[in-house]
Amino acid sequence: MKDAARLVGITIISFCAVFVCGLFTNYYMDISGIEAVLLPGKVAAFYNAQVSTAKVVCLVSGGCLLVTAVIMLAFYIRSYIETHKRELGVLKALGYSNMGIAGRFWIFGTSVFIGTGAGLAAAFILMPEFYSIQNSDGILPEIAIGFHPSILILFVIVPTAVFAAMAVICAFLRLKRPVMSLLRGSDRYVVKKGRGIEAVDTPFIRQLGRDTLRGRKSLVFFVAFAAFSFSSTTQMSTSMNELSSPMMGAMILLIGVTLACTALYIAVWTAIDGSKRTIAVMWAMGYSRREWGRGILGGYRPVAYIGFVLGTIYQYGLLRTMVDIVFRDVEGIPAYNFDMQALVVSLVCFAAVYEIFIYLCSRRIIGDPLREIMGE
Amino acid sequence: MIELENIRKSYGSGENRSQALRGVSCEICGGEFTVVLGASGSGKSTLLNIASGLERPDSGCVRYDGLDIACLSDTDMTAFRRKNVGFVFQQYYLLPNMTVDRNVRMGAELAGKSDYRLIIDAVGLGGKLNKYPGQLSGGEQQRVSIARALAKMPSVLFLDEPTGALDEETGRQVLDYVSGIQREWKFTMVMVTHNVNIAEMADTIVLMNSGEIIERRKNERRKSAFEIGW
Repeated sequence: MKDAARLVGITIISFCAVFVCGLFTNYYMDISGIEAVLLPGKVAAFYNAQVSTAKVVCLVSGGCLLVTAVIMLAFYIRSYIETHKRELGVLKALGYSNMGIAGRFWIFGTSVFIGTGAGLAAAFILMPEFYSIQNSDGILPEIAIGFHPSILILFVIVPTAVFAAMAVICAFLRLKRPVMSLLRGSDRYVVKKGRGIEAVDTPFIRQLGRDTLRGRKSLVFFVAFAAFSFSSTTQMSTSMNELSSPMMGAMILLIGVTLACTALYIAVWTAIDGSKRTIAVMWAMGYSRREWGRGILGGYRPVAYIGFVLGTIYQYGLLRTMVDIVFRDVEGIPAYNFDMQALVVSLVCFAAVYEIFIYLCSRRIIGDPLREIMGE
Repeated sequence: MIELENIRKSYGSGENRSQALRGVSCEICGGEFTVVLGASGSGKSTLLNIASGLERPDSGCVRYDGLDIACLSDTDMTAFRRKNVGFVFQQYYLLPNMTVDRNVRMGAELAGKSDYRLIIDAVGLGGKLNKYPGQLSGGEQQRVSIARALAKMPSVLFLDEPTGALDEETGRQVLDYVSGIQREWKFTMVMVTHNVNIAEMADTIVLMNSGEIIERRKNERRKSAFEIGW
């Protein structure tokens, strides 16, 4: 149950992906139906812009979230196998085949099913409001909400099946190692050839930060993604006030902040959970919470700010593309310029959220250090 | 001097409640090597944890030269351990991705010491500064763990079954190193073990059973690690 709860990250990502893509794909399919009755000229230009918007949102957001979900699933499976390698080793030693064990990992697909199902349901709940806003312009004929079974198949059933299969394959590949390597469960560090001798003068805490970063590269992605989501969506939601409805802005903001918090929590939780013993030893020796926090999590701070910069560039590029290319032929589209005020507000909010989040998570996750070193 | 006065500690609640320490009182003399001897479940590790400030008693006092550490806040307790206590664990708990030098430096930085390599030499690992724990034997890893604890120059060194995961020969070597250093540097050393023979190496033996001290006696002569049985 505890392991299943950790899959909530995939559920949230799936929810967001299908919510956005479901909403826009449904709209795209409904709007496609009126193409034949359109008049050429300005109306057609507006129509084309709406269709392009739906496509861009689906491809960019859906694509980003799909890649994130795939990486997250692979990360979870790897993490699950590393955490439970002794139990899995015992099963292998008892004679269970790799496929026999890996086959059970289909259950990971249920988190995708819950997320995508809920995402599609939420999209349908919001659809009347969304359609009424789109129809309020009165430029295009009234568009009615239609139910397209292909969306259900494409966004719920297919991802669930694909992710379940992916989970089984990932697990199978990771289980292809000798039984003893799983049973031993040692945390032996593999010294890589050619690795130079460490700089002698680097203080211990700084070196710990570097090593943690080096040893957990996958977390770099999650931290960068969290900052990227926060930066792009908070700035986009305020910058696009004049370009879109407040509902769209709020929706983007909510999704972005949810994704950012989820990814950040996963990163912080994994970094601390994987370093519990180090933290416990440091605690026993007399290192303060602040010191071990700096050692374990400090290395990720620069990564977070790089992610923030990338998010800023991404949101500017996306809005610029929408205004300059997609809505090029549509009249009345306001000019779009880089919003410096939005950047400053977003940066200040991100810095505050990041530091508070890390402080609170690290306090909660570490639990009882004594149990970690004495409780085995 | 460390004074433990009427220490009580229990774990769990209701029907699952078990008393690990039942009003334990004893004194640990400064500069001496004390062994706490007892079978599994006798409460010796709990006593060690409480005496070292890793854990708090339910009731009772733990005084270091008159200062009752049981009343300290978490922050003050961390600061106390930082300044006064070194700890050696049965399973070493070295940082696997750091060299011997780095692992020992982890302790030395707490004391602001830069000449910590003397300690690595003292435990006989001067030639393995740039080795990783995974490249060392169990005995060598435990010696690194001892060097790490000593590098912070603690006034008291606590060792929890330091030879529990080692074979006889390696165990003797480790005990020989740590005992020799203790004699030379004259810090207080408290070791928990279930091995009766190791107790012969100590100045004082504290014998525990079922959460109580049943005997406390002094050895007339401290034997070396190679004189005792195993």
